[in-house]
Amino acid sequence: MNHAASNSLVIAEAAKCIGCKACELACFAVHNRDNGVGTAVGTVTMPVLPRLYVIRTDSFTMPVQCRQCENAPCAGACPVQAIRQQDGVIAIDAEACIGCKACALACPFGAISLYKAYSGGAELPQPLLQERRDSRLQRKTRITAYKCDLCRNTELPGGSAAGEGAGGRGSSAAAAQDRNPFPACVAVCPEKALRLVEAGTGRSRSLNREGGTF
Amino acid sequence: MENKVLTVCPYCGSGCQLYLLVENGQVVGAEPADGRTNEGNLCLKGHYGWDFLNDPQLLTSRLRKPMIRKEGVLQEVSWEEAIGFTAEKLNAIKEKYGPDAIMGTGSARGPGNEANYVMQKFMRAVIGTNNIDHCARVCHGPSVAGLTYSLGDGAMSNSIPEIENTDLLLIFGYNAAVTHPIVARRIVKAKQKGAVLIVADPRKTESARIADTWLPLKGGTNMALVNAFGHVLIEEELYDKDYVSNFVQGFDEYKANVEKYTPEYAERITGVRAADIRKVMRQYAKSGKAMILYGMGVCQFAQAVDVVKGLASLALLTGHFGRESVGIGPVRGQNNVQGSCDMGALPNVYPGYQSVEDAKIRKKFEKAWGTSLPDKTGYRLTEVPHLILKENKIKAYYIFGEDPVQSDPNAAELREALDQLELVIVQDIFMNKTALHADVILPATSWGEHDGVYSSADRGFQRIRKAIDPPGEVKPDWQIISEVSTAMGYPMAYKNSEEIWDEMRKLCPSFAGASYSKMEALGGVQWPCPSEDHPGTPYLYQGNRFTTPSGKGQLFACEWRAPLEQPDDEYPLTLSTVREVGHYSVRTMTGNCRALSQLSDEPGNIQISLEDAAEHGIADGQLVQVYSRRGHIMARAQVSGRIKKGATYMTYHFWIGACNELTVDYLDPVSKTPEFKYCAVRIEAISDQAQAEALVRKQYAELRKQMLVGAVPE
Ligand code: SF4
Ligand code: SF4
Ligand code: SF4
Repeated sequence: MNHAASNSLVIAEAAKCIGCKACELACFAVHNRDNGVGTAVGTVTMPVLPRLYVIRTDSFTMPVQCRQCENAPCAGACPVQAIRQQDGVIAIDAEACIGCKACALACPFGAISLYKAYSGGAELPQPLLQERRDSRLQRKTRITAYKCDLCRNTELPGGSAAGEGAGGRGSSAAAAQDRNPFPACVAVCPEKALRLVEAGTGRSRSLNREGGTF
Repeated sequence: MENKVLTVCPYCGSGCQLYLLVENGQVVGAEPADGRTNEGNLCLKGHYGWDFLNDPQLLTSRLRKPMIRKEGVLQEVSWEEAIGFTAEKLNAIKEKYGPDAIMGTGSARGPGNEANYVMQKFMRAVIGTNNIDHCARVCHGPSVAGLTYSLGDGAMSNSIPEIENTDLLLIFGYNAAVTHPIVARRIVKAKQKGAVLIVADPRKTESARIADTWLPLKGGTNMALVNAFGHVLIEEELYDKDYVSNFVQGFDEYKANVEKYTPEYAERITGVRAADIRKVMRQYAKSGKAMILYGMGVCQFAQAVDVVKGLASLALLTGHFGRESVGIGPVRGQNNVQGSCDMGALPNVYPGYQSVEDAKIRKKFEKAWGTSLPDKTGYRLTEVPHLILKENKIKAYYIFGEDPVQSDPNAAELREALDQLELVIVQDIFMNKTALHADVILPATSWGEHDGVYSSADRGFQRIRKAIDPPGEVKPDWQIISEVSTAMGYPMAYKNSEEIWDEMRKLCPSFAGASYSKMEALGGVQWPCPSEDHPGTPYLYQGNRFTTPSGKGQLFACEWRAPLEQPDDEYPLTLSTVREVGHYSVRTMTGNCRALSQLSDEPGNIQISLEDAAEHGIADGQLVQVYSRRGHIMARAQVSGRIKKGATYMTYHFWIGACNELTVDYLDPVSKTPEFKYCAVRIEAISDQAQAEALVRKQYAELRKQMLVGAVPE
């Protein structure tokens, strides 16, 4: 092997995206199955916090999300090494994250956001900091960085697994047990505007041959 | 134990099939099914829009028991009392003022076709009036009227899957990405397969963004553009002469009418470049298969019927009918607006579009229903406020599954009209703005809690199924109406929805073969389906035989008229009402879905141009005041480069930012559809944003209290 295996990533095709935000909801749902959100987004008691953002300018519409950069600038900027390369994904350790915003500033795509942290559907308190709220001193809520983690091999909300040409999948009773090969956003997009570009396959493989560095 | 129930999405007319996942008697998820139109896809409403069934009381609360207004306050009563009260009052009003003093609505939403059939039968056979109408009047009424005139049937001539195989799509005043994401999928696919995409819309919609040609016409100039299209087809001899001479009528008159609409003349009115008008018509005429799709940008103008006929004329001139992937598609907005029209919840037709004025047809229904029936067309929904306030003609209003105070124009006038009535009956699933004016409330089962049939936008009958038991003491709509009917002295005793469906099929030749068992076997049936062995009809007018009285297509053109209320110094901007993707209609359902309501919540947005925002010192996301001659409201500014200077857009889903406090009740003379897409407004910046935000929160809290949010469910 004369080139490193590259990270997978999800890319969007602006020519297909209609800006419907189904991907945002699916992303939120899949990350909060064990967070007081029940089997689907339907029972959520916290704000909808997706890890990809549908942007709409004068001339295009599409979601932007983490590219899983090989030399991730966010990781370089993180003062506490909360960002690691793990199984082909650039991952943020939410517990180690100190909410300093360095990663969000370093990301060239604006793919990282800082939000309140939640556990069991409720805000997670910061152990030491207090703030004045409703004219009372109260525990400040923990803030942590959120970004796309490719969420593969998770069970989708409602147990559905999707992919091009997977018509009729809902009828299979086993589907709920299946591990989903696609990230939630890719699976749910009705326009098939999102695609998982696998490490060392398809387009990235041809890039590897040509460029040798990707 | 998890259980999966196959049903149809309750939101838009795309008719997507899905499974409801049920655990311990509660819906816990939804999953796409392989339906004819959606092929294993859903939009965000299909995926996450079932939460309202759990009654989370985010916006309003579920109606669980009948209520009667006593000493000014709505109080819970027994079913017996509510039915008795309703029947007695209706009988008394009928006795005193005659049957035409009573108005009823159908419901284009969750109740389904059977309930609509029973409702129109109730109004006609029991009350004795044709005063039945529904919200199609405020949306696709012009399509029904215009296409019936031009072609014979007021529905999509093609089916949704055919869209992706056409060679050219002309999309006119239709924002599929927001209203029908799953139809938008076919548009995207058509484009990927090489179809030419032409979009006529004042806004740069998602389809306009990916179009080959975008025609950014000025709001309210549709007829001028459509006439210019016709002019080019004739002047450049692009039309199909054989087709026109064999299958079409009215050519000479049409030609004379479009004579003066040269592309240059139209450019001055519409702002669309003459060269573009010529280019797209050359493409349209020459393409082997071309389809027109249109929506509210055509229908919600006071000249809507004319424009619908004009669009149909373009397809007639070029012979784009009677085959796969050609034709004209009015894409229906609400899940069952096609169905309520199919079931005769209209003042001029029985189920199956059979005229109430035709003596032979009337006799057939009289015999079947064992009573005599009125022979003149009833009132239209949008005429109701006027008929109450100015002509004193209506005394009772049975509002079934609709919320006109939120959905109809000029809300203040409508509220005044409701308060003047002797009897307002509201039958619904949630407390809503109209129910605040009710004398009696009849709580009904929701989508997910009953069986039935919906009609998708492309004439597809599909089964909906009961997945869970309803809460409280609610009953299916058809059962409530049957009980009122029985109490009024006309017994109705249906055992289930299939029995109603079978009665309907016997009376409607074009639906006769669409039995429950056939829908079960095929997944759905597209009408016409005249007999048991008929598979249904994906596209209409095979052999170029139209269903007009002469069997030929009718051409039509007429002069362009400007919209009624023009901007002036006091109200310098125009307002058009639109939809947004995560919400639906009056929002009682999606507003009670946690994920959807969090994606976008009160007070709702007003989209304005960069230029107007700069001029008024308004930043994106700020609260602003919006005024029209009829009222004022607060909304959040959404500053966008896709909006033209001078134009604003608001969604009609929100309760604080309720755009219908502003809209004008000026109607199309034929279809009586209001001019929602055009009125004059003024925007003012608010300097103290913090105070404005606090006010919105306070208003929201008060509103929710009125909607009985927080009242303890049993
Ligand atoms: S789900 Fe697909 S079409 Fe919808 S916003 Fe996301 S990428 Fe775009
Ligand atoms: S891959 Fe997963 S985590 Fe990343 S944006 Fe898509 S849904 Fe969200
Ligand atoms: S709202 Fe319309 S497009 Fe979305 S899932 Fe329901 S029927 Fe399909």
